[in-house]
Order: sequence, then C-alpha cells, then structure tokens
Amino acid sequence: MSRKLIGALVAFGLGATVASAQDYPAKEIQGIIQWGAGGSTDTVMRSVTPHAEEVLGGTVVLQNMTGAVGAIALNHVAGSDADGYTLLMGAENPLLYKVMGLGDKDYSEFTPINILARGTPILVANNEAPFDDYAGMMEYIANNPGELRIGSTGPGGVPSVITAMMDTVEGKLDVTAVPYDGDGPALTALQGGAIDVMPAVLGASIEGIRAGSMKPLAIFDVAQNAKLPDVPLVTSFNEGYNTYLPWGPFFGVFAPKGTPDDIVAKLGEAYAAGAAHPDFVELMDNRGFTMMGISGAEAEDFLAKWQQGTAWLLQDAGLTKASPEDFGIARPGE
Amino acid sequence: MDTILAMLTIFTQPELLVLVGVGTFAGIYIGAIPGLSVTMAVSILISFTFSWDVYPAISLMVGIYMGGVYGGSRTAILLNIPGAPSAIATAMDGYPMAKRGEAGQAIGVTTVMSFFGGLIGILVLALAAPFVSDFALTFQPRDYMLLAVLGILLVGSLSSGSLVKGIFAGALGIAIGAVGRDPLTFTERFTFDLQIMEGGISFIAVMIGMFGVSEALLQLQNVGMKAVRQKISKIVPSFGTIRKYLPLSLQTSSIGVIIGALPGTGGDIAALMAYDHAKRVTKNPERPFGEGAMEGLVAPETANNAAVGGAFIPMMTLGIPGDAVTAIMIGALFIHGLNPGPMLMIDQPDMFWFIVGALLTANVFMLIFGLTGIKIFTKIVEMPRSVIIPLILLLSIVGAYAVNNSISDVYWMLGFGVFGYFMRHYGYPLGPVILGVILSRLLDDNWRRAIISEREDLGRFFEGIFTSPLSLVLFVAVILIFVSQTPLWMSMKRRVFGKATS
Amino acid sequence: MDPDFRGDSDHHDGTSDATPGGYTEQRRPGELGFAIFLSVASLFLLYSAYGISGFEALSAPGAVPMATTLVMAVAALVVTARTARFPLVPTETLGKDILPPLVLVFIGFLILFGLLLKPLGFVPTAAIFLVVSVKLLARKGWGYTFAVALGSLVIIWIVFRVIFTVLLPAGILPEAEFIQFFRNLVSGGAS
Repeated sequence: MSRKLIGALVAFGLGATVASAQDYPAKEIQGIIQWGAGGSTDTVMRSVTPHAEEVLGGTVVLQNMTGAVGAIALNHVAGSDADGYTLLMGAENPLLYKVMGLGDKDYSEFTPINILARGTPILVANNEAPFDDYAGMMEYIANNPGELRIGSTGPGGVPSVITAMMDTVEGKLDVTAVPYDGDGPALTALQGGAIDVMPAVLGASIEGIRAGSMKPLAIFDVAQNAKLPDVPLVTSFNEGYNTYLPWGPFFGVFAPKGTPDDIVAKLGEAYAAGAAHPDFVELMDNRGFTMMGISGAEAEDFLAKWQQGTAWLLQDAGLTKASPEDFGIARPGE
Repeated sequence: MDTILAMLTIFTQPELLVLVGVGTFAGIYIGAIPGLSVTMAVSILISFTFSWDVYPAISLMVGIYMGGVYGGSRTAILLNIPGAPSAIATAMDGYPMAKRGEAGQAIGVTTVMSFFGGLIGILVLALAAPFVSDFALTFQPRDYMLLAVLGILLVGSLSSGSLVKGIFAGALGIAIGAVGRDPLTFTERFTFDLQIMEGGISFIAVMIGMFGVSEALLQLQNVGMKAVRQKISKIVPSFGTIRKYLPLSLQTSSIGVIIGALPGTGGDIAALMAYDHAKRVTKNPERPFGEGAMEGLVAPETANNAAVGGAFIPMMTLGIPGDAVTAIMIGALFIHGLNPGPMLMIDQPDMFWFIVGALLTANVFMLIFGLTGIKIFTKIVEMPRSVIIPLILLLSIVGAYAVNNSISDVYWMLGFGVFGYFMRHYGYPLGPVILGVILSRLLDDNWRRAIISEREDLGRFFEGIFTSPLSLVLFVAVILIFVSQTPLWMSMKRRVFGKATS
Repeated sequence: MDPDFRGDSDHHDGTSDATPGGYTEQRRPGELGFAIFLSVASLFLLYSAYGISGFEALSAPGAVPMATTLVMAVAALVVTARTARFPLVPTETLGKDILPPLVLVFIGFLILFGLLLKPLGFVPTAAIFLVVSVKLLARKGWGYTFAVALGSLVIIWIVFRVIFTVLLPAGILPEAEFIQFFRNLVSGGAS
C-alpha cells in the first residue's frame, strides 16, 4: 500500500484532511535553522517564530541542523517535499556557496517567505591598538606590513567580504587574517588581544563598544547609525566605499521552490506580521539590526542584487573557487 | 543589602522556587539519558518560555543546567554509558563499583561531591567573577593550544593497559574530530568526496556508539547471568569520608572553575583533567584507579559541577559564553529584552545576583533529588539483561539521531559501536578516543591561529611562549608531564632514587 | 605479578574502560588481524591527510591531520609487531569468545535497523526491533514480549518526539498529523 494512501486513511480516520491550503497548517511545520543554538540566526528565528505562529494558527518546530557552513541544512530543506511543512531559517551565506565551492545549491532553489532584517558591519579594534580611527589603521598597515592581525570567520563570511571590499577600495592590504569560528569567538579574542581588528556585525559588538571594552573604528554604511551616532562612517574616510554600500548580512525564512502559492502567501502573511510585532522590532533595534520585512518579487530582487555584488567583489579580490560567470551570476551594472 | 535581596528573589516568589526544582529534577533525567543534552533542552526552552517573564525562564534553565551536568554520572555509574561527555571519567571508577554492588554508595559520593563542586563554582562566580574573566581573556590561541596538548597527554593516565594502544586511540580521536569541512578554511578533510562526510562526525554519536552500543554487545555474552544485587545501605557518605576527600575536591573544583570559565573549554575537559590530577596526587588509593577508586569519582564530579559556575563567569561579566549552554542562555536573555554584555553587571546587577541565587538553589535541589530516589535508579541495573540490552541499543540510536537530526550520525554511531566492541576485546582503551575527539578542534584550530598570528614563523611562536608568563607555565607543565611519562625518565628515576631507598 | 595484568575472568572481557580487555603477553583470536587492519587503515588515512594540503604551510588545514595519522600509523605498526610475537591464547576461539552467534545476529539487527529507519520510519522499525530482540533474549511468552517492547517504545517516543520535538523519521506513519490532532483536541478543550 502506498505511503500516501495509508497517511490519507489514518488522517481521515482522525477527522483531519490532507494538505489543502485552506487547512494549512494541518500538522506541525519543521523550521530548520542553518546555524547552531545560541547563534544570531538561531536567536532571531526563535524570537520571530512565536509571533508568526499566532497568526498562522499552527506550530513551527525549530530544529538546528549544523555542519558544512549551513550547506547541510540547505540541502536537507531543498530536498524535502515542497508542501510548506519544511522551511529553512537561513542567513546570507548560501548565496556564496556556488562561488566558494561549498555546494551546488543556493536560494535559487527556494521561494523567500520573508527577509527579516539586515545587519550593519562595523570595524572594531582592541583597546590597546596603536590607532584610534580608520585612517590611523591604514597608516599603521602601511608602516608595519603584515603586523596587523585581523579577525576572520572563513571564506565567504562577513569579515572576508569586508576585507575584500577594503582590498578593492584601498588597494591590497598587507595584513594577517586569523580565522575564528564566528564573530562571537573572534570578538572574545579581540578583547584578549589575540587579534587587533575585527570586521563584525554591529549587533554582536554593540555591547562591547558601549562598555568600552573595544573601540569602534568605522561603520560600513552610507547613513549615520542611530545606535552609535558618534562613530564615523567609512565613506567619510574614503568615498570609494559608496560603490559597495549599503551591504550587510541578513536573515530570512525560505520555502523550497514549488510550494503552492497560497501556502507561500499564508506563511508570508504570518512572518510579515511576526516581523512587525513591536517586541521583535524592539529586540532587533536594540541589537542594531535594520528591519527589512520584504517578500515576494522585492525579496527575489534583493537576493539577486546581493549575490551579484558580493560574488563579484569576492571574485575580484581573488577569493572565489569558481567564477560567478559559471553560474550565470552577472557582474553588477551589466 | 540590595545584593542579598536580589539573591533572595527566588525565595520570595514560590513559583520561581518550584521552577528551579522542576528544572533540576528534569535536568537529572535529561543528563542521564545519552543523546538528550542540556544544550538541546535549554534551546527548546527558549521557544517554550518565550511568553514568560525573564526570571521564571532563567530559573528553569539554570535548574536544568545544574541537574543535567550531574545527571550524566548516573548512567555512567550504572551502565558504563556516560549520559553526557562530562561524565566519561566518572564511568572509569563508577562502573567497577556498580559491578561490585556498590552503585548506591558511588551515587551517594558523586552527589555530595557534585554539590560541593557546584558550591565552589558558584562561590567563585559570586566573589571573583571580574578577576576570573579578566584572567580567562588573557588566554591566547597558543595558550589554548598548550592546554589542548596538556589534555592530550592525559592519554597516559586514561590507558591503563598498553600505552601504545592508548596513543593510537587518542590519535584516532583527533583524526575523527578533523573529518568534514575544516571550520576555518572550509577545505574538505577525510571526506572522500562523499556528501554525508561533509558535516563531520558528531562526537556525541562517537561517544554513544563506543560506550553504549559496544557495551550492549558485550553484555550479550552474559545475557543469562543474574545481575549483581545492589547494596543500598550507606548511600549518604559519612562525614569522615567527605573530610577525607576535601583537599582533593578543593583542587579539582579549582580546575573545574578555571576550565569552565575559559570560553571554548567546558565541563568535559575539566572532568578529564581533574581525573588525571587525582591520579597523580593520590599516592595510596584504597583501590587502584579503574577498579573503583573513590578518588576517581570525586575528582571528575567536583570538576564538572564547578565548571557550571565557571561557565557563567564570562557570560555574566562580558556577555561571552563559557560553553554551549551559556551561549543559549545569552540568546534567552536577549530575547527577553536584556542586553547581555559587559554592561549587564553595571546596568542590572540584580540579574547577576538572581542567577547566583538560582544556581545556589538548584545546587541544593540537586543534592536533595540526588540522594532520594537512588533506590529506583539502582533498580535499572537489576533489570533483566534481556530487556535492558535492546533498550540501550534503541536509546543509542534515538540519541545519536537527536543530536543533529541526522541519519548519518546514526550510521556513524553504529559503526563506532561495532568498532568499539573489537577495541574493548583487544585491549584498546576507549577513553582516549573520546578525549581526542573533544580536544581535536581545540588543538587544531588554535595551533593554526597561533602560527598564523606569528606569520608561520616558529621562532616567533616560541618567542611568544617564552615571553608570556601564562604560556611559559603551561609549556613547562606540558614538558614535565611528557617527560614523566616517557620510559627514559622512569629508568633515570630508578637509578637515582632506587639506590637511595634500597 | 604484573600489576597491569588484566587477564583474569573479571577483566578480559573489557567491560570497564579503565581496565580494557585483552591479555598483556598473549594474543586473542583475531587480534592480529585487527591490528593489521588498523595499520593499513592508518596508512591509508595518512595518505588521505597528505592529500588535504600537502606540506603547504604549518597552518595548512592538513597539518594536524597529517601529524595525527602519522602517530596512528606508527602506533598501529608497533602494536602489530608486538602482537605478532605473542602466542595465541589457547583456550579461546573467534566464534566462541569474540564473535559468538548472538553478537553477530545483533550486529545484523543493527544494520537492518539503520537501513529500514528512513523508508519505514522510526516507530515501526523500533517496534519490530524491540519485539524480535526481547523475544530472542528473554525467551518468554508473546504477551510479555509485546508488553515490554511496546510499553518502552511508547515512553521513548513520547520523551523524544513529543517533549523534545526530535523529528524522528516518520516513514509510513503520519505522525505529525497524529500529533496535531491531539494538539487541536487539547487546545480545543482549553478554549
């Protein structure tokens, strides 16, 4: 007997009906989080989902599935049924899997439900570092080639993109990149003096900056940040950054491509309401994230632009394993 | 005054007290079941307590954490299957005691000593948190690397049979830990281009397989044998016993607090280091280590519970997690509208003292729940083997799957179970394998960070070690322990001291 | 007597990790084969570790794997050489002491469990496994077997699937619909 038939029979016996959009969700939804428990993707997803559940009238069971920089979770969700019962709670990096040689799938296999928020990169330094601003750091790098230790989180991570951006705008910088597992451990190392400078996400470093345990050098954005109004923008030191900014990592909820439109709409509505919930907005604002809450064509467009810009930036900095061209990712502006 | 009030918050609201109690009770069972981890329980609690206030949510999490770290020792003693990685060392002497029918006594000592260790950890957290966290921050990648080397040298004391077999097992563990995409460069290592290898091998799966499945397979040979009757008198250790182990437990608790406070190392490493320490300082144990030495229980259990208080130190003072559980708690604080970070202690000192209070309460509950209910627990070992063996196998499968919702972990678990079965038969110790897996990334990542920081220059690397007092101390410790384990030293010692004494 | 001697009846089965099995001066059936297997496997892993990044840099991703697999290979070869010199334990055979039929049967069960877990789902596979193995080991009536096996399975399922929401492979059973039905029932009753 086929699996579906038994399922239908039992479900019928229990008085429920199978997968029709009116009754969606008829069972619990699995939300697969790409990163480990306690990370920022995890925290964001666990705080928005309960609000979305209220609107949805169903349960989303969140599970962390880690490994291979999130590729395991992505492949798992991409390979599951497109019935709206398996969702991916992801961050920005899958858009770089192809060019970084980490996998052959990215968000093009998915329909974005909601791109929740984006982070702002900021360059922070150890308090003992012999410079106090971005210009001072550049001078130090020029005078002490190879001596500046800059934190990184592996190829394709936020720090690697920021470093690539700096290399492109300022010319190749002679620094030593020390790899860490994530910006949390790297910022810990920064405070202990194991690294001098770290391009981090504002949210991860804001408490440290407020407490004076690390010093901010420059914010990588085009507009002054309300949370840290005194920190200069990197564009005020070099106009060249305007080409690439604003840029930042983001968090989003995705369903496999082929999920019925009405289910996508229902999920979209739920997560849009969740993202707009005052508690969530306040929480994100406190951590220095910029709310986005976009979906549909707008989200697809955002993803495509993000991928083009970042993939080519990394390609030009010589950090990619394969050219974006091989995957049909056009150079921005072409 | 405010401080004391904040600490007592928990008693002014009976519901908080109940939540800590419930959490501790649940934690003991979660900790005892291999595959259910405190990390998992706490991250589920985040969604579960989402709409609650922050105090009740934290009360429950603290209870589960404290209970869970202790609970791992239960199955280690009774079934030789550590419920959590931090209980691996506990199995070494706890299980031999259960085999003699002294499970009750073993659990009694474990409970009282866990309480003691927990207390030391909390005291250090309450009194010296800022100093300890400053000290923890000074650890550089090379210091972490030296710490890992120090840990790897424990292979010597964990393998009482053949040292060469122990060394093989330890190296195998490090290699297992390296499988998958390298977290620093994303290069594939030992993956043989297979997709299921990319995520690496979960070390919980290795542990469950090596200890759980191989144990169950071995027990098949004694299926008809009657289980050992457990004596359940003398559960609460006498005051004299406690006093006897007081000096040792103070030392091992300190090891626990420091290792717990270091970001990136936790109770598992602390417990193994403490076991090794006990083996070194105990001159004449009543029974040899590995055959039911009390010291072998006291050391790891005080250390892993002291590590709990330790893990909160960087979390509360700097917003830096001391281990996986505190990482999730930071997330929980942040969801509940607090901003964990260096300012938390200054802006909201109440929160700090509340957590200290909750930890103290959880520690007391742990003692109470630990010492009651032992009778029922020991009944597990008296269950017929024909039922318990299939159950252990099934629990191992579910547990391995639960770690990362991954079926490939189940295959690894089964594979290592069968492999471990042969290792046991042929005299290869399993402890060093797990030690290697636990330390693999600490060693590998930090070695590479250290040498990258010195721009691949070994000269500069050693210069760094010799100019930093902390690195120098660790380095000297590594050399001393290494030399004391090599045969050359043994023969020298015999030549020099042998004549004098004989 | 050699203090490291573990060859008594209490220890040679290796049930305690701190006192692993084996004899210090004799070799058990199959021990040499196992040691040779470990040596070959270690050498292969050493080759594989060299393939990661070769001798590129001290900080290369392959540096530590190469060092550890080298240690493995050397240790395994030393063990093999030693084991080969020891005489065989005269009283033991492979089929009786190392791999008795019951152990082989259970290893087979575990492999089957692994293969069926995904297509059949956790609950049916575990039910079959428990019933068959309890029956085989306890040799009691079917009533006892079913009661023990299914009773414990229900407890395990509730703890892992319902309380800890571990998404065990559902296979042929529509578990999620089933849970949702009860969830609706509870929430319907509450409101």
